[in-house]
Order: sequence, then C-alpha cells, then structure tokens
Amino acid sequence: MKPKNRKYNNPVGQSRFTGLLLISPFIVGFMLFSFFPLSASFFLGMNDCGISRSEYVGMKNYIDLLTDNDDFLQAIIVTLKYTIILVPLKLIVSLGVAVLLNREVHWIGTYRTILYIPSILGSNLAVAVMWRYLFTSDGLVNQFLAILGLSPVGWYSGSISAMSIIVLLRLWEFGSTMIIFLAAIQKIPLELYDAASVDGCGRIRKFFNITLPQLKGVIFFNAVIQTISALQEFNAPFMITGGGPLKSTYTTAMYIYDAAFSEWNVGVANAASWILFAMSALIISLIFVVRRKTEERSK
Amino acid sequence: MKIFYVPTSIKIIAVIMSTIGLFACNSEKITEPDGKLDSCTLRFSWWGGDDRHSATLKAIELWEKIHPEIKIEPEYGGWDGWTEKINTQVAGNTAPDVMQINYDWLVTLSSDGKGFYDLDKLTDYIDLSGYSDEILSFGKSQNCLNAITVSMSGRGFFYNSDVYKKLGISYPKTWNELITSGNKFESEDVYPFDLDTQSGATAWYLCVVYIQQTTGKQFLTMDGKLGFNEEDIKSALDFYVTLEQNHIIRTVKERSDEDGNDALYQSPSFINGKVAGVFEWGSTIGKYESLLENAKLEAGPYLSNDSGNKNGWMTKPSLLYAISADTKYPDEAAEFINFLLNDTDCAEIFGTTRGIPANKKIYDFLESKNELSGISYDSSEMLSDANPITVSPYMELSKMKEYYNNAIDSVSYHTATTEEAAAKMYDSITRYLRKINET
Repeated sequence: MKPKNRKYNNPVGQSRFTGLLLISPFIVGFMLFSFFPLSASFFLGMNDCGISRSEYVGMKNYIDLLTDNDDFLQAIIVTLKYTIILVPLKLIVSLGVAVLLNREVHWIGTYRTILYIPSILGSNLAVAVMWRYLFTSDGLVNQFLAILGLSPVGWYSGSISAMSIIVLLRLWEFGSTMIIFLAAIQKIPLELYDAASVDGCGRIRKFFNITLPQLKGVIFFNAVIQTISALQEFNAPFMITGGGPLKSTYTTAMYIYDAAFSEWNVGVANAASWILFAMSALIISLIFVVRRKTEERSK
Repeated sequence: MKIFYVPTSIKIIAVIMSTIGLFACNSEKITEPDGKLDSCTLRFSWWGGDDRHSATLKAIELWEKIHPEIKIEPEYGGWDGWTEKINTQVAGNTAPDVMQINYDWLVTLSSDGKGFYDLDKLTDYIDLSGYSDEILSFGKSQNCLNAITVSMSGRGFFYNSDVYKKLGISYPKTWNELITSGNKFESEDVYPFDLDTQSGATAWYLCVVYIQQTTGKQFLTMDGKLGFNEEDIKSALDFYVTLEQNHIIRTVKERSDEDGNDALYQSPSFINGKVAGVFEWGSTIGKYESLLENAKLEAGPYLSNDSGNKNGWMTKPSLLYAISADTKYPDEAAEFINFLLNDTDCAEIFGTTRGIPANKKIYDFLESKNELSGISYDSSEMLSDANPITVSPYMELSKMKEYYNNAIDSVSYHTATTEEAAAKMYDSITRYLRKINET
C-alpha cells in the first residue's frame, strides 16, 4: 500500500502529520543530542583532528590505540580491573543490606533513608574531595588506625591501596542498587517462604533457594547498570588519586579526557571512546549470554 | 512528502560529514579592523591567584571609567583545568575576545599562526615600542604576531627563611653545597625544598637545568628539536635519584602519601615548614607566599658548579595577551590590550601580580615609583646574572610533561632503572616531537 493512501486512526485526528508532530520533540532531541554527537564522534575518530587541523586517517587512530599505545592499554586494564573488583562487591553488599532492611523492625524507614543518603550525594565532586582528605597521611582513617594501635597506611602510594580508596567510595554509594533489590525482595510472594518453613528450611536455605532465584532478573539488571557505570569511571580517580601512583588508577575515561582536552587530540579521544563503547557492549553481551545460559539450565 | 520516509544512508553520511566539517574546523571568517572604537562588551579571561584577580578587576574598573562605551566581562579562575577550558572555547569558536595565554598555547592552538588574531594588523592601537624584537618573537607563530609577552619569568628557588634561620643553614650557592646540606636537614626531619611530578613538572625542570649547565646543551630547541640524547636524559634522572637519596627532596611516594593529588603549595608539609623551599616560576610564587601565614619566603641564589658556572638556568614568557581569531571587535580588543600593557595607572594597579613587566617603558616607570620589589623581583634580578636560556614552548606541552613525570615516577618508585626510564622517555619524546612537527 502506498503511504499516501494510509488511514491514520488515532485519537488526535486523521492527519498522518499529527503523530509525527507529537513525537517530533523526541525526534529532534534524539537527532541533536544523541544521533548527531554519536555519528560525529565516530567520524572524528577517523581523523587526525586538532584545533586547527583535520585530516582523514581512516582506522589509524583505532589501530594505533590498540597496538601501539601503552598508556591506553594500561588504562583499559585498570578499568577492567576496577570493574571486576567493584561490581560483584557492590552487588553483594547491596543485596546483603537489602535483605537486612527487609525486616519488620522499628525505625526501618529511617535506616533505609540513612543508608540511601550516600547515593543521593552520588558523584558529587565535594564527596570525592572529602574522600581524598579522609585518606591523607594524617587523615581521619589513619587517625582511627592509630587509635586502634595500628600503623598508618600510605593510601596513595600503593597501587592496591589507591584502587581500594576509589572502590570504597563507590561501594559506599550502594543505595540505589540496594533500593532496587529491596523493592524486588518485597515482591517475592510470602507463600514461598511459608511453604519452605513448613518444609523445615532455615534462613540461609530460604535465601539461596527462594530469594536469589527470584531476584535473578534484578541481579542481572543491577549488574548491567553497575558495569556500565564502572567502565565509565572518571570523577573519583580524577579527583582523588589523579590516576596515580604510576597510573595504577588511570581509567579509560581519564585517558579520553586528557587526549581530548589537555592534548586536544580529538581524533584519538573519539576513537578511544568508541573502543570503550565496544568493550562495554562486549562485556554486557557476555552478561546477557551468562543470563540466558543460567535460564536455560534452570528450565 | 517523500522527505518523511527513510532517506538513503549515503545522504545521512553526507549530511553528517558536512556538519562535522562545520564544527571540526575553526571559522575562517576574520573580522577586519574598521579604524574606530564602537560601543560593545568584550570578554577577557585570565587565570591566577587572588592577588592577580583583585588587581585585574580594579584595572577593569579603571578602563570602564576611561571607556564607558566598552564594557569588559571578566572570566577568571585558578590554573587547574584552565587550559582545558580555553581549548574547548577555542575549538567551539566561543573563546573570549581578549585572553591571557600560556606560552605553549602558541604551539597547541596556533601552530599555523591563525589560531589567534594577527596583532600586526592592530599596531595602530597597540604601542609595541617598549618591547625588544626578541621579546616580541616569543609571541610569534609562523612569523605572525599572535600574542604579546606580559612578563618574563625564571624558575628559581624560594626558601622558607624562618626554617633556614632556625636551623642555622645558609642558602646553597652550588650544587655540591646543596647535596651536602642534606645530612643536616635529615637530622632535623626537614627538607631543603621539594619538587613534584604534577602539572608543573618541577622535578624534571631542575634536572634539566643541572644537565644543561653540565653539558652546555639545551634540552629542547625553540623549534621543537630534542637537544639531549638518551645518555643526557639518564644523567638527569640519576641526578634526581641523588636528590632523593641525599634527603634534598621527598620521594614521590612520601609526597603522594601525604595528600594524594594536592598541589605542593597546599600541602601541610610546605605550610608547616617541613618542606623549607620550592622551585617555582617567579610569576606564580605569590600563591605560595599567601599560604605561609607565619613564615616568609625569600628568593635563593641560582646554583652554579664549583667553578662558578651559572649557565643552564631557564626563563620564559610567563604569560602573554592574545586576541581571539573570532573576535567581532578587533579594534576595541586591541585598545584594551594596549591599556593593559602600556597604561601607567593600570601598571601601578597590577604591580608584579603578573610578574616583572617585559615592557621596558612600564618596567622603568614602576622602578621609578619603587613599585618593583618582592621575591619575584629579587629572583628575576638574580636570574639576569645567570645568562638564562629561553625555554622552548614545546617543553611546556602537557604531553611532554606527562613523559617527564612518568620517568621521574618510575625511578622514584624503583619500577625502572634510570637507563630504562631514559630509554623510554627518549623514545616517547622523539616520536611525539616528530609527530607534532609533521603536523
């Protein structure tokens, strides 16, 4: 059927332009703020592009980044390491706290609010600055260690300790993930737990045989969201460690920032962004595959 | 109405490519001077400390009394992140009309001489008679006058005089005196001064001075050629290790542990006197001075070898004024720059907040008024006896500083020997300079 003969039976009129008009704010917004920047980024990644120069170089930026750029490859390794450490830890802590906060106790609303506050502060730079001062040589953490009779730790000079500071900050902001888990836990039918109690199941068995399987979808959702967020980590290492020591906390996003705004190597920065995107897509696909496999197995 | 159906992918790509072309390249539209001053608002940006900010705001008030028809919209802040901000503005054709710029921006923002307005077109407004040809040459790119040097500055030692007096130690005059003083400082758990591997890369700069004095070579030439060989770089890194081993400076680990990524002038060790000195540009020493509430900084001698050779020390244009290539008001911007550079009332307001003026006429005027004083001036006077080398703008590039800092960090953390770090640094710098010189 030719488009001009189509009849549009919608509640706002017969004209086929009405629908387009109604969705045009989204279309225009999407084109301007998503489609155009993404496309521009891809093409800029194929240029040797500075402030006063632009030359088409094809896939050279991509190839150089992946084969001949130690800093970028190290940044990718750091980012992956950070993601692998943070995401499971955050899921475990959020789920654990969500289970605890699902109890019927006095002041439960207050506890939930208090534990959610760090997430509201979120990626606030002031929090990152505060965090930095907590871990200085005479910061609060070392003072606390001294009270316990322990020697102070050089948090910023060790690659493991520096990474730990950033992981701890993000772990502290577990509220959003926890709230999602809590909402999902509250939707699990209580009959399942009652039936399990009748069968003589203890709390731990109920958790592993009822709660966890029922939360599979939410765990998957949180894993995806947290993985994407961890792969794009910038604020915390930028503000707290500056990427040090010896670039052990220098993430891919920091590399992109430096290439784009310090060195004004826009082509390389955009190519690096697309590599990060491809890497994220690959990891998320892997999470999808794992989910499908586990679902198939449970059937 | 066909337009509402899916267009061909080629059409989309063509549209994207042409639009990217529009955004990726700077506008070539240059507003030519029209020979008169119109009523307008100019944006003026600078970075600096509080002393510079308040002086500049007062100077703007004075300007607006003289030229009420030309308003100035100030944009100012600290140095951290300033380069990134200006880079973004220049790329987006939204740069301020008048900018205080850093020396290396001529390489990064105007390698073809077109990144800033050609000031040779505006000499009817800007009086350049107080500047020598050499000073003017520092603001040229591809023989095009892009910027005018405000002040020259050397990187020298500034010591916490109270700590030195308390310990009964005089400021070192030779490298050997410096190294041997380490024992006495160590017994008091104090450091004679400190260097860092942050945006200033002071650690590498001092090593370069030492090797330049020892070998007579210049680290980098003005046109971006590497003057040091791998062996020279290794010697520079060996010298750095010597400083750490003799308790002249803290190790990178000690500095990081204290306060992570904080700048040296904000660190408790500097403020409480455990670090009794810094190696800094004279034009920026004000921010260190202002944080020392109960102590006083003094400029120290530029070190020589035992036979009195003081060569190898470095000077550079500490900052320059430029006009955006996209300005709609070149005449008015030029008139404003002339005011900043040549007006004696403005010069009195500024004092030495932008370093010691490079404009001879203003220098003489301030000297006659006894306005030239302070540690920045003392350091500048001492440097003039040392026959300094002008720093290459390529030495200041952020990527170059990353290479210096990586090498220093790796030898300080013992993750590489000085040979390995020197080989890596030489290779990285050679490749980088080749690349930017090709483009």
